[in-house]
Amino acid sequence: MKDILARKSVAAFIAIALIGTFAPALLPVSPYAFSGAPFARPVWWRSGSLSATREYDIKENETKIKWESLPPAIFSLTGEVTAKPEATVRIIWRTPEKDYLLDELNGSPRYWINQDGRDMIFKQRLGLPLISKSVDSLFPARGGYSLVIEGAERAELKLSLPGERQGLLGTDQRGRDVFTLLIYGIRTSLIIGVSATIVASLLGMAFGLAAGYIGGCCDAVIMRAVDILLSIPTLPILMVLAGIWGKGLWQLVLILSIFSWMGTARSVRALVLTVRESPWVESLRALGAGRGYILARHLVPETAPILLANIALGVPGAILSEAGLAFLGLSDPRLISWGRMLHEAHSFGAFTEGAWWLLLPPGLGIVTICLIFMDIGKFLEEKIDPRLSGK
Amino acid sequence: MNGRWLLRRILSSLFVLAAVLVLNFLLFRLMPGDAVSTIIDPSFSPEAKANLRALYGLDRPLWEQFVIYVRQMLTFRFGLSFLSRKPVWDELLSRLPVTLTLTVSSMAISAALGIWLGVKAAVERGKLAERLVLRAGAVTSSFPGFFVQLVLLMLFARALPIFPLRGTLSVPPPDGFFNVLLDYGWHMALPVISLSLMGFGGWALYVRNLMVRALNEDFALMARARGLSRRRVLWHAFRTILPPILTIFLMSIPGLVSGAVITESVFSLHGIGTFLLEAISGSDYPSAGASFYLLALITVSCNLLADVAYGLVDPRVRVGGESR
Repeated sequence: MKDILARKSVAAFIAIALIGTFAPALLPVSPYAFSGAPFARPVWWRSGSLSATREYDIKENETKIKWESLPPAIFSLTGEVTAKPEATVRIIWRTPEKDYLLDELNGSPRYWINQDGRDMIFKQRLGLPLISKSVDSLFPARGGYSLVIEGAERAELKLSLPGERQGLLGTDQRGRDVFTLLIYGIRTSLIIGVSATIVASLLGMAFGLAAGYIGGCCDAVIMRAVDILLSIPTLPILMVLAGIWGKGLWQLVLILSIFSWMGTARSVRALVLTVRESPWVESLRALGAGRGYILARHLVPETAPILLANIALGVPGAILSEAGLAFLGLSDPRLISWGRMLHEAHSFGAFTEGAWWLLLPPGLGIVTICLIFMDIGKFLEEKIDPRLSGK
Repeated sequence: MNGRWLLRRILSSLFVLAAVLVLNFLLFRLMPGDAVSTIIDPSFSPEAKANLRALYGLDRPLWEQFVIYVRQMLTFRFGLSFLSRKPVWDELLSRLPVTLTLTVSSMAISAALGIWLGVKAAVERGKLAERLVLRAGAVTSSFPGFFVQLVLLMLFARALPIFPLRGTLSVPPPDGFFNVLLDYGWHMALPVISLSLMGFGGWALYVRNLMVRALNEDFALMARARGLSRRRVLWHAFRTILPPILTIFLMSIPGLVSGAVITESVFSLHGIGTFLLEAISGSDYPSAGASFYLLALITVSCNLLADVAYGLVDPRVRVGGESR
């Protein structure tokens, strides 16, 4: 037991499984929230003094902002202002060069403010060029800026300036936080990979036991089916099934397991064939043990270790298949997975943006998990069959 | 070549093909609703619906549908696509070259590269070359193919624009047959290279193991003792491992076709894989069924070819046949 835990891949698996289970609850941002500007770079990206995301809660009549980088990606002001109905409320954006009157309100005790620099109406009212980005005019240079509210009794505004840099791993094409998506993706990969492989291994064990122990016609049919399934390309079938039967998590698990039990069936059958003729099984038969009894009490435990190694070695295949299907767009769009992230990066402009941060995290995540499981599988195989470790 | 053996291989391929036909038929009949429900508007009159069902043969009993379907598949009359209302076969035919180029050339390149490196690693046992090959093999075969392709695409089509970002031909295509061919080669270069890159590692590992074993056998020792040149000894050893190499070749074909499907999607190539994907996303059942069938057909025929080659290289099959 101790040497199992000492293996680095096992420790890494436990760590990743814990992160995948508990970290989503601890993350501050929802993976569905469009929390930033599209294609924002990671926050540690330092080239060219790109702006980082900033947010200001505005309560006073004048909020001073010191701006030392390029313009942000988005300028947005939301919230609530209360004033006397007869007073005129003016919201002014004061830049080092010019004052912009963002809003002039009167005749009501309460106003809802929702200004977004990307809106045409906003640009029109401020007299900005309609086709260029308004943030370039609103942030013409480095220096001191201020947001001034005149004539209000109380203001509860939020000025958010999502920057060109945000989050640990940047944002995707819809402004979602890539790090959050990455963490949520662990869960999907693990659930699909592990459960599909377990189902497939159980199927494989059932078929392998049946083929090996019952033999005859049953054996011929099952092994023929194995040969056929191994000699046709599985990805097209998986694509068709995912297209027809649905794309949810459990449908994917089912679809993947139907087409990956063949290897297990083969090795279980081979084992059963050698065990079946061994003296102790023969003596069991001579003692009058039934077929079901021998299968359940003696052959199943005998095949269990192989099964365990098979599960570990089969997980990478299942994870890769799932990622492949999701990459092709054949998964539920609401299901966050690494394959889906790669799909969206590929089809929604990561390449024209050069957004490597949408590509590397999910891809390397898949690679890491696959390597971990392969190592665990190899380790288990060596445990079961000491000859493999070369000692 | 032993005739009975060849016959058996052909029969076994036909059996796989029959299984594919049944699977394909069942897949598209098991789905919720039926094939025509996607193109029937609810506002159609009952007669129009019945006519449409009759047009696609859905009013007949299942076995009769199956017979018609098999006849259609074997004669490549796949009917009309729901999406484009054009014959599916024409569409598939225009996409066949890309898929064939991808599978055949990457198969050849990865096999050649893998065998060469594997033999090299076996000869240079314990040296740096062997360690490099082993490491490269382990790394390339454990990376998901499409991820590596995406990274290559980012590097060599976006960061360093040497290769095109997408497509099979430039828009508009260049004039002249030779220029078109050149353009095609330029577009296919990165897909083929990346697909071969994913494949050669497994080959190299496998060939190295076989070759190490073969070189340790008595006949290799004998050959060396007789004073044969290194090259001759290697050739002797290599000939003995050809049959298992062909086996691995056979087993790698389905994976290669799957890889081609996903590669076409990464590089936005005009191939059968992307057609299948479009058909699935657009619920275009005739096209999806036909492209699945064609992909399976490619696999089965490659299998058969490799099987025949097996007979050519393995003297036991060529001379002795099944009795051995």
